[in-house]
Amino acid sequence: MKQEKEPLLQVGVFVAEYAAHMMGCGVHTSRVIRSTKRIGESFGYTVKISVLQRSIILTLLDLETRENYSEVIDIPSLPISFERNSELSALSWETFDEHLSLDTLKEKYRKIVSSPRINPLFVLILVGFANASFCKLFGGDWCSVGIVFSSTIAGLFLRQQMAGKGINHFVIFIASAFVASMCASTSVIFDTTSEIALATSVLYLVPGVPLINGVIDIVEGHVLTGFARLTQAALLIVCIAIGLSFTLLLVKNSLL
Amino acid sequence: MILTDILIDGFFAAVAGIGFGAISDPSLRSFPYIALLAAAGHACRYCLMTLVGINIATASFVGALVIGLGSIWLGKRIHSPMTVLSIPALLPMVPGKFAYNMVFAQLMFLQNMDNPLDRAKYMEMFFSNTMVTCTVIFLLAVGTTLPMFLFPNRAYSLTRHKKQL
Repeated sequence: MKQEKEPLLQVGVFVAEYAAHMMGCGVHTSRVIRSTKRIGESFGYTVKISVLQRSIILTLLDLETRENYSEVIDIPSLPISFERNSELSALSWETFDEHLSLDTLKEKYRKIVSSPRINPLFVLILVGFANASFCKLFGGDWCSVGIVFSSTIAGLFLRQQMAGKGINHFVIFIASAFVASMCASTSVIFDTTSEIALATSVLYLVPGVPLINGVIDIVEGHVLTGFARLTQAALLIVCIAIGLSFTLLLVKNSLL
Repeated sequence: MILTDILIDGFFAAVAGIGFGAISDPSLRSFPYIALLAAAGHACRYCLMTLVGINIATASFVGALVIGLGSIWLGKRIHSPMTVLSIPALLPMVPGKFAYNMVFAQLMFLQNMDNPLDRAKYMEMFFSNTMVTCTVIFLLAVGTTLPMFLFPNRAYSLTRHKKQL
């Protein structure tokens, strides 16, 4: 079944946006490259792509007519989304297997990228419980579990509010680490495992996705993007440490 | 008694996994699998550390390997990439207490620069905690990505709906 080819320009524009969006929401580099090439291939074009941390350079090539289309596209900084990661990846396979037309593909893509995220309130509760059980895993008693639960909610709420206002990432991390650990430091008043409470209160901030993606990228040979991700993660971890240090400076005498 | 300890450990790890996953906006259908993997990985590490007496770094590596293999196996069922299941499941294994001690020791080192005895103590504390934290995090990442390189064909087509020939 040989259908008429979709125009190079339109496919190119779409593919560039698709790749940038995938990269923006925390997909590791080799998956972005594979999925993008797969979509290009299913429209009969060869995609040559080079991914950097902040931008993607890509060329679409029609091997029959030797026409090509090149674009350098900025990667938007989007919040990490596992759902979009799997849906967009599945979309590339669907395009490949079922030969979707460009219009259908665009429509499905719009639907995926405009789907709502999980309710922030729900996330708040879940993360509170998560950090509380983390505290229990480290051997904290029930009193510190309760304190960690409430301080996590306070810290994460602050993070959500600040992120909504578009404040700098690093400032958000320092502020919410400080607030969460400060709330957790109330545990020094009680006779409880206050060190564990302090230690676990900031752990919801750990940037796990860039850490793991960074290692995957490096091992797969995308060393530049891998190190860029690890650097980003390391900076965020430093910010958590700074926020925690402020609290420790204030309460260290009660801890010793 | 040991069995209940293991189950309790797994349960708390599952709750932690779900919560840490929720920050990164996963689809609702992946929650049960994240919980299962987090529990399996953490309980595995717990068993190795308390029953067999293996050190935290090696035990974490094995736990991460279990999570990696599990995510490649379960990922196919819900057509989701490995990392979507493995990263949240891995987070409960992050060595938070060591990381905390690292920051604490650094701070106390700087505060006690004039006192040689305390300075040496906090220096030692800082280095040993940094060593554990960095090694464990690195091994966690390696352990969970290893299955991806062992079974590349399967790992790269987890989101494909069409049956492969």
